[in-house]
Amino acid sequence: MKQGELRRVRFAFGALGAVPVFLVGWLGWLQVAQAGELDREGRAPLQLVPATADRQSQRAESVPAPRGTIVDRNGSMLAIDREVYEVRASVVVPKRYRRDVHVFTGWLARLAEDLAKTLVADPELPGRDELRRRHAQRLAGQFARAFRTDALPAAGALPEKHPVVADLLVANGIDVLSVVQALRGFCVRHAYETVTLHFLRSFERAYPDREFTFGLVGHVDTRWESVGHTAKSLVTQGVCGLESFVVLDPSDAQSRSFLNDGTGRSYFQAPFEDVRVPNVLQATLDIELQRIAVRELTAQANAVGKDATASIPKWGALVLVEVATGDVLAAASWHRGDHLPQATAFTPYQSLCEPGSIVKPLVFAYALEAGVLDWSHVYDCRPGGATYREVIAQLGRAKPVRDDHDCADLTPHGIIVNSSNIGASYVGLGLSRDQWRDYMSFYGFGTSLRLNLPHECLGGPNPLSFDPNTSTRGFRANSAISFSFGYELGVSAMHLARAYLRMLRGKGAELRLCRGVEIGGRWYDAPSAAGSGPRFRRDVVEAVTEAMADVVSDDPHATGHHVHARMLKELGIDLHRVIAGKTGTAASRVGIPGRGSVNVRNASFVGLLPVESPRWLAVCVLQKDDSALFYGGSYAAPPAVRLLLRCQELEGRRQLRQESQSGSGGQARATSGSPGDSGWSPGASEKQR
Amino acid sequence: MRWLLAGLLFALAVGLAIGTAAIRADNARYRFAVEQLLRDVRDRKVELERLKLQRFESSSPERLAAEHWAHLEAEATRRQEALQ
Repeated sequence: MKQGELRRVRFAFGALGAVPVFLVGWLGWLQVAQAGELDREGRAPLQLVPATADRQSQRAESVPAPRGTIVDRNGSMLAIDREVYEVRASVVVPKRYRRDVHVFTGWLARLAEDLAKTLVADPELPGRDELRRRHAQRLAGQFARAFRTDALPAAGALPEKHPVVADLLVANGIDVLSVVQALRGFCVRHAYETVTLHFLRSFERAYPDREFTFGLVGHVDTRWESVGHTAKSLVTQGVCGLESFVVLDPSDAQSRSFLNDGTGRSYFQAPFEDVRVPNVLQATLDIELQRIAVRELTAQANAVGKDATASIPKWGALVLVEVATGDVLAAASWHRGDHLPQATAFTPYQSLCEPGSIVKPLVFAYALEAGVLDWSHVYDCRPGGATYREVIAQLGRAKPVRDDHDCADLTPHGIIVNSSNIGASYVGLGLSRDQWRDYMSFYGFGTSLRLNLPHECLGGPNPLSFDPNTSTRGFRANSAISFSFGYELGVSAMHLARAYLRMLRGKGAELRLCRGVEIGGRWYDAPSAAGSGPRFRRDVVEAVTEAMADVVSDDPHATGHHVHARMLKELGIDLHRVIAGKTGTAASRVGIPGRGSVNVRNASFVGLLPVESPRWLAVCVLQKDDSALFYGGSYAAPPAVRLLLRCQELEGRRQLRQESQSGSGGQARATSGSPGDSGWSPGASEKQR
Repeated sequence: MRWLLAGLLFALAVGLAIGTAAIRADNARYRFAVEQLLRDVRDRKVELERLKLQRFESSSPERLAAEHWAHLEAEATRRQEALQ
């Protein structure tokens, strides 16, 4: 190599060698001389750590998991997740608008107004002008808080270190395409180079037929909440009813990584690794029966008020249960007045009343099983008769026991049919205090329905009844007699339904709201407790049911003769031996806020269909807050009877439909026209069953 | 000759580097375009879910009955006005 060539090669390699030296020097300048951070105008210094580099080149989108779908027993949607966007804005006020307070606030006002206009871009939106005004007002308020405009002077230069960067919520629940598209193009269209809109994926819970199901399906409220300065997390608030089931807990949110290009725009790195199939919870409710129950209860409650002799009730409850499984097929709630139903108590489990004579079959079944009642014994039920004086009057009870109509000699069957309080008292006095305590436990009075329902009222016996300080004589004179015909006891309609379910199916029977769940395509049955635990002998249940069958007959002394005559007239159906039932009427005094202690009357009815081997039971309770006559047989029985008849009719129709669709197997599934992806996979379900 | 080969190899290396960078940039551009497309599809899916639920809710017996009743009332009003 010549000398000149050698010099040129040395120079070239020397120049190349200078590059790493320069890089090392630059690294030292940044990492050592500048102490690991870069000052930035108007913003916090940038930390020169690997995390910063990662943050600038990568972005992760957090995607909440769907809660899952709630369907009724036939697959109709009750609750479903609907994907929506939550739109947030990262706002940096451009340098040219930071010189003057007027310019600064003017730019913010223009941004708020432009965003408000964009949010009402849906041409079909009613009252757009008013909505735009409200959005503009809300956004202006948010900007004022984020940029502390109230701390600014009236005029002049913008103070140093005044915030010029903010991240704020523009709107949530955005689901209209025209609005989404308008927001997507917002920054380009309005030339806001320093504003970035982020579209966070979110779910909103939708409840078709909300007005019918709110009390049992419950509700959920999920919001993005800020954690620290920048992080956000989904917080679920106010979960109750079926919504509170663990299977619907969206704890495993997913995230998806993005890379940012040189201009900070994100592009996807990878699709979701494993998209979660939403869980499905099948409720025991039947939405068709639920609708019927609501309609029947509402119609009956309003009809009572139309009668000149009676005022409109205060509240009502109607419950329908499948006896074999304990499934709650329908539960309707009604309140007087124009209150929003969701804002009032859900009466089937949140409103208590003294049940009255509706409990007599329960008392008699227990006494017969316990061996303290002879079904063929004849009781002298005359008011003030010899037996009355000997058994009841001598106890020194303050209130005499009376019957609605005078009775004579009655067997237990006759006592139930005539609903004789005197006869029931004789039976009740045959039970010891411990047996009464066991009676309460057997039927579950005063204990939770174990359905995980919000603000459930437990009710139960008067606390004084089983107080150790209450003497046995006092217990017999008051509680034992009162319990026999449903006083000194608070119950809800669902508690009564469970008590009758236990009479028919045993102590372990519980109401059920969830039939099963489908998780990841696998079907899991919810266990039914009906039929477990100690139960009454068959002859005991049959004897009581037979008596209940005669309650709904044309016998003028039977307390159900009114509903029998009415259904015969209205529907042309002779209910005798079609529906077994028991009426209840109670007059109580209850404390009502603002009104003190007032007289109330409770009308109740329990019906079983069919009489032999009942398949369904319905309980109806109506309460009036005055002392006007109000009988279970006249007022509470008609809606319960109609509901039972419609239930049987629907069942027959469905069986016919299933027979005509040979091969379907009657599998419950989501209706084809149902919204969204329910995740319901009938194939998998069928395999698991 | 050696210098020529070295130059060619250097040019090849530079060409490869530029080509790779171009392809990567093109890939990034396409991925970005696909992401935009995916975003548009998702926007429409959100709209579809909304419309499906809207239709589902409006087809419940109660709402159909209410719509029918409103229609009958409007028709009755119209006929009454026509008579007057």
